[in-house]
This record gives sequence, structure tokens and C-alpha cells, in this order.
Amino acid sequence: MTTITREPLTETVRPERPSAPRRRKRPRVGTYVLILALTVFFIGPFLWLLLAALKTPQEWSSLPISILPKVPQWDNFVHAVSDMNFVGYAGNSLFLATMYSILITFSSAAVGFGFARLRAPGKGALFLILLSTMMIPQILTLLPTYVLFSQLGLVNTYWPWVFWGLASSPYMVFLFRQFFSSIPRELEDAAIIDGAGWGRIFFRIFLPLSRPVLITAFILSFTFSWGDYIAPSLFLDLDHTTLSVAITVWYQDPHNNVIPTVQAAAAVLYVIPVLLIFLFAQRYFVRSSVGSGIKG
Amino acid sequence: MTKKWTRYRKRTFYAFIGPWAIGFVLLTAAPMVYGFLVSLTNFDGSSSRWKWVGFSNYAELFGDGEAWTALLRTLGLTALLVPLSVAGSLGLAVIINRRLRAVGLWRTVFFLPSVVPVVAMAIMWKLVFNKDAGIVNAILGVASIKPIAWLVDPTAFYALVVLMLWGVGGGMVIMLAALQGVPIELEEAAVVDGANKWTVFRNVTLPMISPVVFFAVITGVIGVLQVFIQPLLLTNAAGTAGIGQVPTSNRLYMVQVYQEFFLNNRFGYGSAMLWVFFVIILGLTIVLLRSSRSWVYYEVDTEAEGAAQ
Repeated sequence: MTTITREPLTETVRPERPSAPRRRKRPRVGTYVLILALTVFFIGPFLWLLLAALKTPQEWSSLPISILPKVPQWDNFVHAVSDMNFVGYAGNSLFLATMYSILITFSSAAVGFGFARLRAPGKGALFLILLSTMMIPQILTLLPTYVLFSQLGLVNTYWPWVFWGLASSPYMVFLFRQFFSSIPRELEDAAIIDGAGWGRIFFRIFLPLSRPVLITAFILSFTFSWGDYIAPSLFLDLDHTTLSVAITVWYQDPHNNVIPTVQAAAAVLYVIPVLLIFLFAQRYFVRSSVGSGIKG
Repeated sequence: MTKKWTRYRKRTFYAFIGPWAIGFVLLTAAPMVYGFLVSLTNFDGSSSRWKWVGFSNYAELFGDGEAWTALLRTLGLTALLVPLSVAGSLGLAVIINRRLRAVGLWRTVFFLPSVVPVVAMAIMWKLVFNKDAGIVNAILGVASIKPIAWLVDPTAFYALVVLMLWGVGGGMVIMLAALQGVPIELEEAAVVDGANKWTVFRNVTLPMISPVVFFAVITGVIGVLQVFIQPLLLTNAAGTAGIGQVPTSNRLYMVQVYQEFFLNNRFGYGSAMLWVFFVIILGLTIVLLRSSRSWVYYEVDTEAEGAAQ
């Protein structure tokens, strides 16, 4: 084969990055037209939401359809925040997401460490179980969990989120396990010779090293919990629920019809935190998606 | 590596994986067993006057035409959506993998919708597809096409498909990483041998990334089968009250299950439906795993597993 050898082929490992800048022709105009069309598809709904949030209800529903509001109705945002206890619901969302994410990040790190660096009989089988639980659709366990928890009086409390957090997530365990497996043994051996126990080794060596994975796991679970609709709609009543449920239920006119413009404003406020996290931490989202796909 | 000497005691391992093991037993295994027990009763969710009914829920489900129709509809959606989204995410990745100007911007644009919470997604698309005030009908109106009520039968199904495809950028990122992992020497060698672009993609690139494509298919199938919140949120009703208003063309299996639980208060019957669904999903997954042997290409790097022990 006509490979251009960079270095003597002593390693079997493939180069991590695509070899240097790829020698490809610059794409033609057609590609950019396609990209533009795709951009309209992906960004259009955001813009339409924003425009709806700035119209009066009459403007929104009157024919012919007007694209731009005559006067931007910032008042819709005031209504979105004051027509229901927006701050309270946002607080619930924030509290649940933060608590859940901290718990699940650390429990997954611990379990990942166990599977990566420790040994005991049954480890292989347990890891296989862990991998296969990733295949169980969540909703199949969620409904029976709801029935069970309602019998135990755990509905309308935040305890389910504590339990889910403590129980770790198979997927994140897998991420941590991959990361911890790649840390050289010498580091651990040196610490053991210095007299460190597993606690010190885990907390002082492995956890600090895994900072990028910790951030990935935290961001991922935080945005998941913030965006989750099913669990809060099942487990929490309207007094305890999160923003995601609240914005679908409130904002009704006297005839029990949802006021689309105010709901749109609320939805804008609701997605902004997620979009900000995404824009500032995109590489962590990439890492989390990619980490799941490559090594199976 | 010395074999006999161990760094830690065995119980340390069990302590570390304890949270997961206990969580698995209490939050996955126990609910599933409990769900099975409930499926053998006529429990209605609240009253204490329930009784064991054996397998009669399962027998009833077997003759439940609506449930079967919903199952077929769900399988149809899966058969439509999984190939579309796998091909779509691969297509986006191929575009982004070219030497574009402002490539980071386009990647962000394509990736962004996949992180939008489902509630916000549904609200957005309801506005886009709105019969009187939606942008889709506004555009169609320019071509003097009469407004279409997208969110009711029979078009609601297509609205759902579009909504689901909107998040295709999440898969793109995985595909992109896979494409960039293909050694460029392989593709160049094929070009030197006289292959055209498509042949290179079909016979070199695609086999090299087939494990990732397979992963996308498996997670896609499992993901689409359990869809139910999107059809619910696309109705006009507030919150989960929409369960009874889901248009027929969007009555997926899980919608049906949800209705048995929370509209008809038939917890026993709903639990039986869940268990049957679990078995079906398990069967599908096994079939897919088996089929993978004939079309997924794995490079020999199994020794990496051993080294990690």
C-alpha cells in the first residue's frame, strides 16, 4: 500500500487526529446553498419562537400572517414571569438539576473508578449487566417506579432525584471507566508506595485528573434534568414541579386556551440557560456524544 | 505485570461499585419485578380493593386491536425515522468534514437543536406548524396553497417526524468523529487506484465507520420506540392532559400505555403492556446485534480491552 510513513511504525495505535490538514478541494457554491437551507431549517424555529414572543396575541392570530411584530411586545416577557410563579418554578428546576448532577457525577466517578482500577470476583459479569442496562428504555422502569414510589409516599418529594443521583448512570460510569483506564499505573503504584490508601488515591489523584470528564458529566446531567419533562410531570404536583412542566400548564386565558405569545416568551426564557451552557461548553457536549460512540 | 499481588482488597471494589449495584437492584430490577406483579392484578392506581387476575391482562392485550395498531405505527415510525436520522447525521458530518469557511459556526448551528429541551422543542414546532399563524402555512400561502392543519390527522405524523429530525445534529457529532478517525491514507490509496468519490465513500469510508453507524442504529431504534412525550406535547391541551387528544396518526405504543395508566386508571393492564413492549424491544435488539456480524467491520483491537483490566 502506498502509505506515507511519518515515523517508524512501532506503535499499532492510529494517529489521534486526522493526519495534518486534509488535502481536499474547497467545496463549491452548491454546498453553501445546501448549508444555507439547512441553517434555515435548524435556526428557523428559534426565530419564529422569538418573533411569536414579541407579538400581541391579535397580531399572532390575525390573517394574513405577519412575519415581524409592528411593535416588539416586551410585555410578554413580563407576563411570562408574573402570570405564574416563574421564579419559583425556575428555582425548583435549578435546585433539582444541581443536586441531581452533583450526586450523579460523583457516584458515577466512583463506580467508574471501581470498574477501571479495582478487581474482585464477579467484576466481568457486573460490567456486562451495567452495559446491558444502557439498552433498557428508561420509560419502562419509570412508570413502575412511579407506581412503587406512590405506594411508598415518595411522590411529591425530591427524594426520587436523590436516589437517581446516588445510583449513578451506566453511561457516565462508562465514560469515567474509559478515562480512568487510560491513567498510567505508575502513578498509582507511586502513591501506594508512599502509603496512600484507596481513598487518597481516588480523591487526590484520580478525581482531580478527571476534571474534563467531571465537567462533561455535570453539564450533561444538568441539561438533562433541566430539560426533563417526564419525571417531574409524573412525580411532582403543580406546587412542586419544575419549569419544564409549568410552562406547558400555565398561561391560559379565561377560556382555558393557552396564550401562545406569552408561552413563547416563557419558552425563550426557559431555553436561554441551556443555549448559554451549550455555546460556552460545546466541546463537553461533543466529548459526551463521541465518548459513547467510538469504543463499544 | 505481576499477577498475584493486588493493590486493593476485594471489598474495596464492591464498595466503589456499590452505589450502582444498589441503585440497579432498587431502581431498575425492583420496579420491573414490581411492574410484572402489578400486571397480574387489576390495580387502578389508588384503591386497595384490587385482586390477582393471573395472565388475563396479557390475554386481553393479545386481542387488543388498538394496541397492535399502535405497535405497528411505532415500528413504522422507527423504520422511517432511524434510517432518515442516521443518513441525515452522516450527511451533515460529511458536509462539516469538508474544508468549509466558518466551519465551527455551521457545526454549532447543526448541533444546537439537539440540546433543546423537548418542551421548548414542542412549543416551537407548534408555532411553526400552527394552522392560522404558522410560518409553514405563511410560506405555502405565497404559493397560494390553502392553510393546512398540520397538527391533526393525517399530517400530525409528518409534523412529528420533522420535529424528531430537527435534533439530528446530535448524531452528526459522533459521525464526524468517526469520519475523522478514518486514516486518510486509505482513502488516498483508493483514489490512486482510480476510484471516484462515491466509490471511496461506499467501499472505504463507510466500512471503516460501520461500528459507529451500527451504534447509531441501535440507540436510534431504542430511542424512537419509546417516543411518546412529543406527540403529547404537540396537542393543544395543557401538559399531560393532552393524552386523550393525541391524533390517531400519532398514537404510538407508549402513548397508548400512558393512556391506560393515567386516563383509564388501568395500572395492571398498562404494566402488562410495558412488559410485552420490553420483550419486543429486547428481541429487536438481539436481532440487530446478530445482523451486525454481517455488516459491521471491526478493526482488530480487542487487546485494548485486556490491557484495561
